[in-house]
Amino acid sequence: MKTKYFIILFSLALVSLFGCQKLTEEPKAKITPVTYFQSQQDLDGAVAAMYECYAHDYGYGFTSRMDAMFGSDDLATHYLSNKRPQRLFDQLNSNPTEDGVTQGWSPFWTGIYQANNVLVNYSKVPTTDDLKNAAAAQAYFLRAWAYYMLVRTYGPVPISIGAADLTKKLPRAAVADVYAQIVSDLNQAITTFPSGYAIAPDKANPLAAQALLADVYLTMTGWPINDATNYATAAAAANVVIQANKYTLVPDYLTMFSLNNHSESIWALQFNKGNGTAQRGYGQSSIVDDEVGIDGSSGWDDFFPEVNFFKAAPKCTRTDETFVTTIKLRNSDGVTYNLVPWNSSLTDVRHPEYKKFRYGLGVPGAGDGCTETATQIITMNASTNKTNDIIRYPMVLLDYAEASAMAAGAPTAASYSAINIVRARAGEQPLTEGLSATAFRDSVVFERAYEFCGENGMRWFDICRLQLLPTIVAARTTDFQDPRPIENPIPTVILSHLGDRYLAPIPQADMFLNPQWTQNAGY
Amino acid sequence: MKKKLDYYGLFKPKSNWQKLFMIMKISAFLLFCCLVNIFAGPTYSQSTKISLNLKDATIEDVLNKIEDVSEFYFLFNQKLIDVNQKVNIEADKEPIKDILDHIFKNEGINFVVYDRQIILTPSDVSSLSAALQQLKITGTVTDENGKPLPGATIQIEGTAVGVLSDVNGKYSIDIKNVNAVLVFSFVGFDTQRVSVSGRTTIDLQMLPNSRQLEEVVVVGYGQQKKRDVTGATSSIRADVIASRPITRVDQALQGTTPGVSVTSNSGQPGQGVSVRIRGINSITGSNDPLYVIDGYVGGNIDAVTPDDIESIEILKDASSTAIYGSRGSNGVVMITTKRGAEGKLKVDFSTWGSAASMPRYLSLMNALQFATVKNELKPGSFSDASISSFQTNPGTDWQKEVTRTAYVQNYQLTLSGGTADVKYLVAGGYLDQPGIMINSDYKRADVRINLDVKASDKLDFKFNVNGFQGTSHNTSYSGDLYDPLPLAVTWDPTSPVKDNNGAYIYHSAFGNDQINPVAQAMNQSADGLMNDYTTTGMLNYKIIKALTFTSTASIQSQYQRNPSVYNKYTAAGFGNSDNATVINNRNMVFQNSNYFTYNNTFGDHAITLTALYEQQSYVHTGVTARSNNLSSYNNGYYNLGLGAAQITTSEYTADQLQSYMGRLNYSYKGKYLLTASVRDDGSSHLTTKYSVFPSVALGWVISKENFLNDSKAISNLKIRASWGKTGNQSVGAYSTIPGIGVNSPYAYISGAVVSTPLQSAVAQNLKWETTTQYDAGLDATFLKGRLTFTVDWYSKKVSDLLYNVNNDSYYGGGTHTANVGSLSNKGIEFTLGGTPVSTNAVKWNTFITLSFNSNKILDLGGNDNIQINGVGQQQTGLSLLKVGQPLGEFYGYTFIGTWKTSEAAQAATYGLKPGDAKFLDIDNSGKYDAGDVGPIGNALPKYTFGFTNDISFANFSLSFMFQGMQGNKIYSTLFPSMYGNSGDARDATSSDVLNMWTAANETNFPVVSSTSNRINSSRYVFDASFIKLKNISLTFSVPNKLIKSYMSKLEVYVSGQNVFCITPYKGYDPETTTAAATGASAQGVSIQGLETGSIPNPRTYTVGLRATF
Repeated sequence: MKTKYFIILFSLALVSLFGCQKLTEEPKAKITPVTYFQSQQDLDGAVAAMYECYAHDYGYGFTSRMDAMFGSDDLATHYLSNKRPQRLFDQLNSNPTEDGVTQGWSPFWTGIYQANNVLVNYSKVPTTDDLKNAAAAQAYFLRAWAYYMLVRTYGPVPISIGAADLTKKLPRAAVADVYAQIVSDLNQAITTFPSGYAIAPDKANPLAAQALLADVYLTMTGWPINDATNYATAAAAANVVIQANKYTLVPDYLTMFSLNNHSESIWALQFNKGNGTAQRGYGQSSIVDDEVGIDGSSGWDDFFPEVNFFKAAPKCTRTDETFVTTIKLRNSDGVTYNLVPWNSSLTDVRHPEYKKFRYGLGVPGAGDGCTETATQIITMNASTNKTNDIIRYPMVLLDYAEASAMAAGAPTAASYSAINIVRARAGEQPLTEGLSATAFRDSVVFERAYEFCGENGMRWFDICRLQLLPTIVAARTTDFQDPRPIENPIPTVILSHLGDRYLAPIPQADMFLNPQWTQNAGY
Repeated sequence: MKKKLDYYGLFKPKSNWQKLFMIMKISAFLLFCCLVNIFAGPTYSQSTKISLNLKDATIEDVLNKIEDVSEFYFLFNQKLIDVNQKVNIEADKEPIKDILDHIFKNEGINFVVYDRQIILTPSDVSSLSAALQQLKITGTVTDENGKPLPGATIQIEGTAVGVLSDVNGKYSIDIKNVNAVLVFSFVGFDTQRVSVSGRTTIDLQMLPNSRQLEEVVVVGYGQQKKRDVTGATSSIRADVIASRPITRVDQALQGTTPGVSVTSNSGQPGQGVSVRIRGINSITGSNDPLYVIDGYVGGNIDAVTPDDIESIEILKDASSTAIYGSRGSNGVVMITTKRGAEGKLKVDFSTWGSAASMPRYLSLMNALQFATVKNELKPGSFSDASISSFQTNPGTDWQKEVTRTAYVQNYQLTLSGGTADVKYLVAGGYLDQPGIMINSDYKRADVRINLDVKASDKLDFKFNVNGFQGTSHNTSYSGDLYDPLPLAVTWDPTSPVKDNNGAYIYHSAFGNDQINPVAQAMNQSADGLMNDYTTTGMLNYKIIKALTFTSTASIQSQYQRNPSVYNKYTAAGFGNSDNATVINNRNMVFQNSNYFTYNNTFGDHAITLTALYEQQSYVHTGVTARSNNLSSYNNGYYNLGLGAAQITTSEYTADQLQSYMGRLNYSYKGKYLLTASVRDDGSSHLTTKYSVFPSVALGWVISKENFLNDSKAISNLKIRASWGKTGNQSVGAYSTIPGIGVNSPYAYISGAVVSTPLQSAVAQNLKWETTTQYDAGLDATFLKGRLTFTVDWYSKKVSDLLYNVNNDSYYGGGTHTANVGSLSNKGIEFTLGGTPVSTNAVKWNTFITLSFNSNKILDLGGNDNIQINGVGQQQTGLSLLKVGQPLGEFYGYTFIGTWKTSEAAQAATYGLKPGDAKFLDIDNSGKYDAGDVGPIGNALPKYTFGFTNDISFANFSLSFMFQGMQGNKIYSTLFPSMYGNSGDARDATSSDVLNMWTAANETNFPVVSSTSNRINSSRYVFDASFIKLKNISLTFSVPNKLIKSYMSKLEVYVSGQNVFCITPYKGYDPETTTAAATGASAQGVSIQGLETGSIPNPRTYTVGLRATF
């Protein structure tokens, strides 16, 4: 009898012992905003996150960063193969459900989200004012840059500048309002950077902000803002950078592409394979797939210039250093090569390749991209540690040249001087003197096309702000020789609506989430 | 209820012959005694000690008292035994025999103790028997195992005269007619008629009923007679499991259980199957049923070996699952493992070996065809010389290069036995299962110890220990296009595997941009080690006769180690560096359940009440270390320090669950049944901690009503109806707490800084997904079990559907978990079982299951179109969640053939030319765009079925099972890859391409081109209905006389699995589809019917034996 009660009591004791199970959550491995932003390290981590989000395949680590810019003449892609996102834009024929439309969209919103995180929280970190301001200023800069990319690619976009409030849907803000926000953020950045802030291309900095501001103002002179008063402000901002005397052009154009953080880098995204932030946008991605190394590695054929864009290039060392015109076809012995011109029918796409993206980091020809001799390709890789220059000094020089000339109604000596620095390094003669403002501007735009071809859509945005698509499309070859068209054909139904093609469609997933939005015209 | 009965049997007065109905009652009672015997054995009477202290009590009082304090039962005839005599008794822990000797020594009463059963007889019985001498028939009744069967009724046909067999199975009956027919019956056994034909000795072996109506089934927190069950449940017995050489428990559910759809996601060894009970209930949460293993809720199904299983119960409706509350929504699979039985050591040994191979190969072009097609598309790709060399050289058959015939072996040894008080079962198993993919294998070893201890009459314990170790090598291919098998079908047949020096040729200029599939398979080690130790202790204490207290505690400890190393020539080495990773995970689960069961009968009212308190806690910790650019690849993953760059992360998750449950089972006259339960679950995951899950069910056993009572046709007829709510715990831990992540360090010039991004915005106020389910069912048994039929109709509505809703991009993207809507599953399921042939020579049992389910999204909280992204490589938005449509609906363009030469002008407006693919331009916009995307097929089957047959004849038994689905579609990304230019695939490899459009032959197979291969299109949606011969086996039982001196049973068998498959599907296996969407934006959605290159279920031929010593 006693045992009976003992066992009952014992069991009940067990129950009551365990009975008060705690149901509170303790996320021991999870950093929460409650425990965060309490030290400089926390702030550094949040700032690093604003950059790191771009240092991946889906950011600036691969060709996909340029998907929505393939309507440009400096970018073409394979008529077959796995390049569908780029190819559809190359044909000016993408649509909201396609993969490619998100590539220019999501990374920037992620960047804005991380920048907002820093801006909402930086002031509560117990650290010095200079360090707090340095963090905030970088956030302003990065937010401005992200919006600048978005507004040019997609037109009206929502202005989201605080903490996320999932219960509140945002409208697509007018393009002018987005530009106003960008200008405001850049000015905020410029004034917030603490004095003595070290200027280096791996971080946002006051000169990078001035340089970007100049480019933003210049864009605002064209479509769709079309406000010519911005020429003067653009020139002024660019002039701040020039007068800072901080940057010089790397003497050899091709060498510059094998260097990280060189003397003309104003702001560059940093990559490091070992850290898990690999760059794959150099090397194999710009090598045609007919080229096969002795070790069997082959090109990916992601992007190359349109044929007529190449043919129109100025004769200069920069052009020679920009393009590969001899294709090395491996013979069946696997060791010797048949060297054929780029337009040989033995090659698949019959296009020249980009040489400047071929070698990645290191010595051209023996770098981490393609390792080759004049007659052999030893091996090829995707470059993995190469920085991606977002702002190079020539952009400032050419922005200044164009803006100062247009602001003054005619090019000034300083306008000429700025463009001629770029031309001199390219191996070109100084620009013809005495050009009209518009002729001078067209020369600058032409110069920009070849100085920056293949680089992050620089050319495409010039085409957009100056509404050049009809010219570009007309210049394109119509040799649609079956079954291997030279250029990807543009559907005829689109040719009559080119005005709709300066903007990419808003991704369908976001349209579904925001039924109050209207899709961009033509999609 | 009094255990003491008036008893007419061996010692009956003649005048009571006519009271046959009493005999029937007694036989039922004796059956019970007999069951008790089986469980306890004769030693109970020797081991039990009783204390009594009664003065001047009647014998009846004494016997009552003994019955109260022990498990003894007294059987006697009150007409012969005078129980009103007074006695004194004082006993202190004395054996029953001594006590009875004392009581009866002067009373003229004899007693026989047979275990718990004590039979009292008058001392002077011989005179009585003498009077009974007429024509006496004697004999022994035995059961199917030859053991004596006490309590069997032996009746003279056409009369009310009958006797019962005694404790030794012996009987004696007087007949008046030498041609009389004796009818032998016993509940649970088939009734047999035997003509006397002048014999005086008739021994008879009784055989169990083919369907036992009194079957006891395990329900949550208890047991119930099958006939009293009000919920929709299905059972699978050990013999069904044993008839197939399965390697995983969940395979046993396949085709055998209505309403349960079991598909293998992959034919890789050791990989799980997808079990769906009554449809898909959750978009993002788990759709897997809850496994309850010997009372341990949420047990690891991987760790239980099929041979150890005694029975599986599948609980389907809300009435049976609501007792598991917030975890019951997807149905419950209750597994009961085998336990030792009293008796001498019994040794069971079984083994089988099988040869597994690819069920089919896809039709690909040989080198000559490939080169010819390539030259048509790109002239000059292959020289004339190489073309002519392919006339004699068929090239590389990559499918055969990456696969093989795998030889699998399995061993199982089980030792069991015990005494009345301690019973044991010790089992060990070993499986060695190489995969049909090269360089892949799986091994498992497990040990189980199940122990039953009877500590006293009131207290017993059970202990289960299960230890499991699984090791795997390259068996976790996700079914992505980078895996060796999908690479093999998109590789260039003109390229050899290796060059003349024996080195892999890693790349090919044609076929695929990736790495040689053989090299890919050989150059990686993705290994796994899983240890799982689960220990359960159970205490049962009978507080008073009607009230039992049960407490169980389970501890599960899992250790999982996943080391992997990839060299640079693999997809995972894509950054041109080799890398090694070691993942160490540990999971600890503790469960404690305590419940009281009150079971009593008041007249016609029978009540069982259960009250439960349960708690469970779970802690997961994990460490992942990864190392890139190893300086010495040979050290593999054993020395991560050799990497140039190293990344370490660790994780911790803990959750707690606390529950209260009450249940009432009520039965009136065994005809009207009621079950009602309510469970209150508190969880750490939610902001509102507690949720209540009620249920109620009614049953009516119509066959017990008078108008059916005597029916010969209908043996059992029951209708059931239930309603209840259950939950799905698909909210992950910490879902409502926003987090800061840790991403890669950002490589500043001055050095890298770890980046800690703010993770996706989260929502508050999460609730469980709640399923409200109605069920109505009918169980019928006809012709004494020859025919059984069950039908269930159900309607489930899942509300507060959890979905990882896309955050607006402008709020940083990502997803947040929210309760967004509801969906429904409605269905009907049938089971028809029968014994069409049952003779002494041949017996044929057959069993058909058929299930229909339809699924529909009812509400998505305003997000009417939710795109599911990231499905495999380049499959954006293939699936769309849309109100009014089922889950698993594919969206894409509708393929309508090719543009013909005559349509050249129209094609040009689309930027296309004759020979290109033509799609439906739904919005007539002149281009293919978002307006042309619509539903193009659904992955959910209209119905699934299974057809099982067992035919036994002489010493052979043949069993075979067909299983199938109808109406399900598969979207295969393998075909776009084989048709060229999809993902990393470049040139077409499928022999379908030989039928490609040409100007001369305008077929509807488009020219290989980028535009033609628009991948989200109905061109790649295939009807995947199928009928498979899942299993066929022929077993030979070696006759007892041949093996008698060595063993008691020996069976040898040959069998085949997945022997053939009838399907219109052109891929490898209509059953294997990729389980879940992959990639950053997949949102954990389970995608149905998407096939991206899964390894098919092998065709297997097996030889095996089962022996009992």
